[in-house]
Amino acid sequence: MKRWTIVVGRLGTVLIAVSLALLLVSLIPQINLVSFSASMGVPPGMVQATSSRVLNPQQGIEIRATIEGTVSLYLLEVSSGEIFPGTGGPIFSANATDLLEFLDANPDLIIWDYTLEDETFEGSYTPTKIMNATLVFHNPSLDEDARVDYDLSLISTVAPGEKVRNIAYWAAPIGFVLAIPWLVNMWKQRKQSLDS
Amino acid sequence: MTDMGKGKPFLEVLASAIHEDYRFPFLELFAFLYAAGTFVFASFGVNIAAIGTAPQAMATANETIAYNAVNSILSMPLFIFIILIFKNIAYGLGSDLEKGIVQTYFSYPLKRYGILTAKLLSALGVALLLFLGIQISALYVLAPDIIVPQLSTVLLTYAANLSYPLLIAGIMLLITLQLRRGGISLVIGLVLYFAMSIVSAIATVFAIFSESPLSLQILSAISPSVVLQQYYGGSLGSFWAPAFSEVLLYTGVSYVIVALVFTLGYIYFSRRLNL
Repeated sequence: MKRWTIVVGRLGTVLIAVSLALLLVSLIPQINLVSFSASMGVPPGMVQATSSRVLNPQQGIEIRATIEGTVSLYLLEVSSGEIFPGTGGPIFSANATDLLEFLDANPDLIIWDYTLEDETFEGSYTPTKIMNATLVFHNPSLDEDARVDYDLSLISTVAPGEKVRNIAYWAAPIGFVLAIPWLVNMWKQRKQSLDS
Repeated sequence: MTDMGKGKPFLEVLASAIHEDYRFPFLELFAFLYAAGTFVFASFGVNIAAIGTAPQAMATANETIAYNAVNSILSMPLFIFIILIFKNIAYGLGSDLEKGIVQTYFSYPLKRYGILTAKLLSALGVALLLFLGIQISALYVLAPDIIVPQLSTVLLTYAANLSYPLLIAGIMLLITLQLRRGGISLVIGLVLYFAMSIVSAIATVFAIFSESPLSLQILSAISPSVVLQQYYGGSLGSFWAPAFSEVLLYTGVSYVIVALVFTLGYIYFSRRLNL
């Protein structure tokens, strides 16, 4: 058997093995570490924000929010105390001025920026580094009240499931293609030795 | 003989060694364990506030996060890696000496050091490539924004943690060459590996009670992961806060010792090994 056939073939089988490991890892389900539900009104021109959480590549957030009226939803890469100094508690109200100034000055720290109107929003976010995250609901209207009912969960995952699964889906067929000549040669050799 | 001519016997020995060291499906099994282990053991549970207030923390928080992440994935996968290289050196080289395969290699138009290089490239080089390649790639998939900016910290953590296993591998090489069989050297290697955790604990206790870092400094010369741990916020109080240059110095010294042991192995294999 040619040497390059063996090298490429073993590279292929290693890729298949890594793909299987990644698939296995992606099948490990996420768990909810903390869940938090709230129902609140957002007066015109005001914001309702949650106190910041520390997220990391294995710890993200998941949110399901039902909106009545019009609300801008932001997920920001910053601690709540930095945008709204002097505020505290798990949820707090604040004037929109601080938020708008922050958004203008730090567009790179905006992770989510959705305008939602009488709808249900579902989303999750897991960062690729360790960071503070603050969830903010802003009512941009000048005269209409808005209402937000939401469930917020801190989730823990072993690996970013979709990303890992995609790599496995690409690596496994490539590995299989690389391994075919070597596997065929192995099979032929085994057959020959059995025949003789 | 031309250089091209010398290359072929070297490749022949290397291919034969790789074939023996990584019989199907061992290579694949180790690749599977490294990939799965990296994700399963990874931990980013760092309290950012705690980093800022740690008395020993001379590193930046980002460096500490990268160090902790690498340290977390090194636990079980490093042990698996050590088993693989110990097996390759003790069993692989040992059985080649016992069965007379090395004597056959001596008939090749290849210097003795070339034969040993080919064997070590297979036993250590391929294993290291597989281990580091899979672990660093998996870390990149998991946390690119931590790993890419702190790549030097990641590599230094690996260098510090791999130094002691490589030293034991060198000692095992010497014992295998001396005894010409691998069983005993495999046992000695495993004992030395586990002894380090006991010695490290004794040295730590000694350092705490004597309020002198001398015992840990001596240990760091063969296992620089000790000084690195201390640099990234160790728990020994204020009597040893090593600077980054010290970490580099201890890591450098440990690799000089590793190189020395392997050089002895080369000298023995080239000049003293009578088969």
